[in-house]
Amino acid sequence: MNLEQSTRIAVALGREAARSSSLCGVCVEVLVVAGAGITIMGGRQTGPVCVSNKRMAALEDLQFVSGVGPCQDAYRFGHPVHAPRFDASAVSRWPTFVDLANASGVGAVFAYPLTNNGAKVGVLTIYQDHEGDLTEAQNDDSVALVEVLTETVLSLQDAAPVGTLAAELEDSVMYRAQIYQASGMVAVQLHTSVADALVRIRAHAFSNSRTVSEVAADIVTRRLRLVDDRTDREGEGLNGF
Amino acid sequence: MASEIDESRARTRQALTASTFVEIVDTLVGDFDVIEVLTLLSARCVELLGASAAGILLADASGLLRVIGASTEQIELLELFQIQNDDGPCLECFRTGATVMNGDLRASSPWPEFAIETVRAGFPSVCAVPLRLNDVILGCLNLFLSVPAPLSPQDVALAQALADVASIAIVQDEVTRKAAIREGQLRRALDSRIAIEQAKGMIAERGRVDMDEAFSRLRAFARNNNRGLSEVAESLVAGTLTIDSLAQVRRPPPPPSRRD
Repeated sequence: MNLEQSTRIAVALGREAARSSSLCGVCVEVLVVAGAGITIMGGRQTGPVCVSNKRMAALEDLQFVSGVGPCQDAYRFGHPVHAPRFDASAVSRWPTFVDLANASGVGAVFAYPLTNNGAKVGVLTIYQDHEGDLTEAQNDDSVALVEVLTETVLSLQDAAPVGTLAAELEDSVMYRAQIYQASGMVAVQLHTSVADALVRIRAHAFSNSRTVSEVAADIVTRRLRLVDDRTDREGEGLNGF
Repeated sequence: MASEIDESRARTRQALTASTFVEIVDTLVGDFDVIEVLTLLSARCVELLGASAAGILLADASGLLRVIGASTEQIELLELFQIQNDDGPCLECFRTGATVMNGDLRASSPWPEFAIETVRAGFPSVCAVPLRLNDVILGCLNLFLSVPAPLSPQDVALAQALADVASIAIVQDEVTRKAAIREGQLRRALDSRIAIEQAKGMIAERGRVDMDEAFSRLRAFARNNNRGLSEVAESLVAGTLTIDSLAQVRRPPPPPSRRD
């Protein structure tokens, strides 16, 4: 890596901030915005490393669960996605996300993929309470932050033993630990793969108007067994094997 | 007459130069195979510079120069590139970072052995221009000519420009390759960390235990079988290891009430 001196220094400070879970706080301070979230994404979907406050946590969570939102789009397409106001096109692209954003008093969202030389590691999402574009300076700073954050994440993982997630990045998995655990439990209950189990959990949450996190918590604490949903039909030999 | 021919020749060369740069730059903005690009560059060097053969040599980690792209597959020629690790214009160019040229090896040469071999192969004139990035010398572009005359200053400048394009291709390839490796490592670490949580859920459900106990069982099985925690978790999730085999190894006669 041939990083500029200032970037190298910023990355070193970034690693330190990640250790104290204050990376998002730094972003909010640099950009002077209402909130920020940093999400790490891998082969399977993963979660936020940090979120600056609870309101934003719910919005990040919704995007993970539904797979739909500006953050998901930025990651998928590999370029920034700006929603300075929730107009008709935003509503049609991300209906549930816009509902929750409106309800929680968020007026604008800007998502920047964390990419560097083709490597994609996640997304920086910036939240504003009011409508309107970021200033040119805020946009420039976001682009600079993306470079630092991407290198920070990669260098944290570089320092970890091969195959083991860097301790500073653990939160991205632990944040959703119950959902992953519940997927494992439901996979055994339904004799299915964990991926299918997660689909069933999502479907259950959707049809009962609950969040996936709530349903997962009920499954892990054994207040809910998804096999119960289907006992009748399974008795009739569903799938016939 | 002569000047008219020269002029038309110059125009043809200008057009060829332009199309060569368009062709190469076009390749570099997409996903490219670096060996392919360097082979193409070598071939274009021959056409543009009136050389008989061209090769691009890169220094490996130990500083040994290796041919990674050439306008020819002829063994005798490839050997002419390679023998320069002992002595020759490439080695000198690599060490000094300066262009090295000898218009007539038959007259005089600081590299006697190299000169004999090269003249015998039919190339009395040689040139080596550095592949550089800032102050770092990566290797060199080596040209063999069948006419005993040095390259013109314009040709040397063009050769240097082509060498610079080669350097960009090499560095860009290395940067993206490194980035892809790092992303892959992060991805695998995330996936295996997630698999551990999923495996805990599977064990907890089958064994009717809490997550802490499920994790202890997972870890115990991995230890007892000399396997990695992530690998065991991933096998469970993938279905290549059954939870029952795991439970049996851990607790042979399991009366659940006997715990604590």
